[in-house]
Amino acid sequence: MRIGIQGIGLTGGFGSSVDSLHAALCSGTVVTQQGRVEHNGLIDTFPAYQASLDGLDEFIPKRALRRIDHCSRMTLFAAHLALKDAGMAEADRSRLGVIIASGYGPLKTTFDFLDSYLDFGYACSSPTHFSNSVHNAAAAHVSMQLKTTAPSLTVTQFEMSVPSALLTARQWLTEGRVDQVLFGAVDEQCDVLRYCRQQFFGDGEQGPLQPFAFDTQSAVVGEGAVFFLLTRDETAIYGHIDEVKLGNHAVSPIKISQDESLIIGADGHKECGQWYAQVAKKHATSAYTPLYGSFPAAAGFDLAVAALSMRENRLFVSPELTGAMPLTPTEPHPLDDAKLASLKFGKSGEYGLIRMSR
Amino acid sequence: MPVQAPIAITGLGALCGAGLTLSECMESMFRGERHPHPPIRFATDHPVSYLVLELRDGFKLPLDESEDVYSRTCQLALAAALEALADAGWNAETLRGKRVGVAVGTTVGCALNCDDFYRDYKGESEPDLGIMQRFLRSNPAAVIARQLQLDGPVQTVVNACSSGTDAIGIGASWLRTGACDIVIAGGADELLRVTYAGFSSLMITDTEPCRPFDISRKGLNLGEGAGILVLESDNVRRDKKAQGYLLGYGSACDAYHLTAPHPDGVGLKLAMHEAFTAAQVAPADITFVNTHGTGTPDNDRVEGRVLSEVLPGVPFLSTKGYTGHTLGAAGGLEAAFTVASLQRGEISSSIGFANPDPAVISTPVTQNTRIDGKIALSESLAFGGNNAVLILGKGDH
Repeated sequence: MRIGIQGIGLTGGFGSSVDSLHAALCSGTVVTQQGRVEHNGLIDTFPAYQASLDGLDEFIPKRALRRIDHCSRMTLFAAHLALKDAGMAEADRSRLGVIIASGYGPLKTTFDFLDSYLDFGYACSSPTHFSNSVHNAAAAHVSMQLKTTAPSLTVTQFEMSVPSALLTARQWLTEGRVDQVLFGAVDEQCDVLRYCRQQFFGDGEQGPLQPFAFDTQSAVVGEGAVFFLLTRDETAIYGHIDEVKLGNHAVSPIKISQDESLIIGADGHKECGQWYAQVAKKHATSAYTPLYGSFPAAAGFDLAVAALSMRENRLFVSPELTGAMPLTPTEPHPLDDAKLASLKFGKSGEYGLIRMSR
Repeated sequence: MPVQAPIAITGLGALCGAGLTLSECMESMFRGERHPHPPIRFATDHPVSYLVLELRDGFKLPLDESEDVYSRTCQLALAAALEALADAGWNAETLRGKRVGVAVGTTVGCALNCDDFYRDYKGESEPDLGIMQRFLRSNPAAVIARQLQLDGPVQTVVNACSSGTDAIGIGASWLRTGACDIVIAGGADELLRVTYAGFSSLMITDTEPCRPFDISRKGLNLGEGAGILVLESDNVRRDKKAQGYLLGYGSACDAYHLTAPHPDGVGLKLAMHEAFTAAQVAPADITFVNTHGTGTPDNDRVEGRVLSEVLPGVPFLSTKGYTGHTLGAAGGLEAAFTVASLQRGEISSSIGFANPDPAVISTPVTQNTRIDGKIALSESLAFGGNNAVLILGKGDH
């Protein structure tokens, strides 16, 4: 069954609307912000793609956000934007399922909870931080805000979170469990994550992000949330999802036909680069991670780019390519009836392939 | 609400505070044994000591190399998966070339609850990056797929305490739509200082052995473990006898509160309704219910009321008194116990219950009880307002 994409909502380093992502795709550039972490008296600055929450109060009063953390706020913002984009802001939501993918979950709140007992003793552990640190808290906030009692699901699986969760979204619609799925992906930055990335990758986190330099570590940390309103309808604003396939390329090589264009999720992480290199040798590929950065939920932004490409019937130019590239991305061209797929690899060769059509 | 075709369950695996294999768990539960104690695996400065159910000594890592490579949650998941696969007649070699999916629910298995690392990060010491590297390798479903060299859909469900139940329902749907032919599905969670601190902060843990549905209940005892089922499509299973059948799955969200169930059990009733419709069975067909039954005042009141309304007079039990609340593992463990109880024709007593609570309305079984029917229901309630229900059928043995 084909799944139609009827609405998109997002917030990321490029801005907080479909139009801002579209503008970034057309210009091919997003200027990174400067992240700043103070640790043990030292100041660490680094390039980062940070998401804005300007405009969230259009949907949720500030008072209602008091105990809702940054990760859930990004989630709520993008979810509301997707419903608005789909014209469903006021629609019946009794059969609206909620599915969220997140590589790391609510990191800041997880560490805030640890702070509560490491700083003040176990008897002072914070119940508010604990209940918001559970990985399905963001999905719960969406269901509560939207008052939808339909099924809710959260998937956490690092790089594979988005394709894996999307597989279930497709299953729910195919089986008729729900009539719509509000499907999203979210990940946030935090100081500890920056510390670890700096320790693991050093200057490989300084950018610029070069998705096609597969054997170079060139990641730039990002954050954001993206949501899609999915239905079974044959007509779709942003095209259709035809297939979601998960597997392991190292166990059974992925099969891609020659007429498929690929948007690859290469995001400057060298340890995944070898898998993309194998595929890019044989197929036309594009990559857009320089517009939103390196984080697990970015696979959701790849999907948003694919959806915009479907809507516009064209492949956008791959952005801001600098440095030596062993392979060049495909030239922008009209899609017409060509097939488009979004491909994400994990470190061990596990992959998620999302096939789309207009 | 769509009808769901039955899915064969061909293998079961379980380990928890009640035992290190499914048969050990079942035998100890039917003997009425339970062994809650203050935590041994970690220490806290909490002024109150809450009881937990850890795995007893003797748990052997499924893979020697896994000790420092994967989290304890992943080791538990692997151990239960290997038991379930052996029960189903599979091993890594015979699975090669098959389309095998893995769906595992967890709560702590995906969270950065590395408080040893974080304590050092906050202090003067250099934190051990090996802890973080182990975390990054330790996604429970992905670890099973990687260790067994599987090619198929993989999903780690983090729906809090309904994760294991949801993972089984999701895995079954993969078989129905042909995404794969075999699914390894269930839940796993280890006991951690972080969850111990968290649940005690919510004031829903008990200093005594937990008392599900009893009027004097004070809260839960945390536990740890894993429960895994092997599900097979008919074209792979062929003549192999099924241990049981997954007849229906339903889930729904209360959309009410982050940590408390809806007082009227709105989501639970919706999930039950979906599962009944999917399985094409009526409430009168249900022989017994394996409840979530944590022993917290709110959970048991809501569950008891819903059961009295939807399944009046149907025997029910909570196994949390034997296992503790194993969070994301609970749904996997309890599905395995439910199938094994259908096979055995008997359910164990709901340990910890002695005195009825008028607010709960219903009362669980107080002794091991013979059952004659062929269909049972297992349910999970969770933070986030999640509710998930499995309807399970007796196997061919």
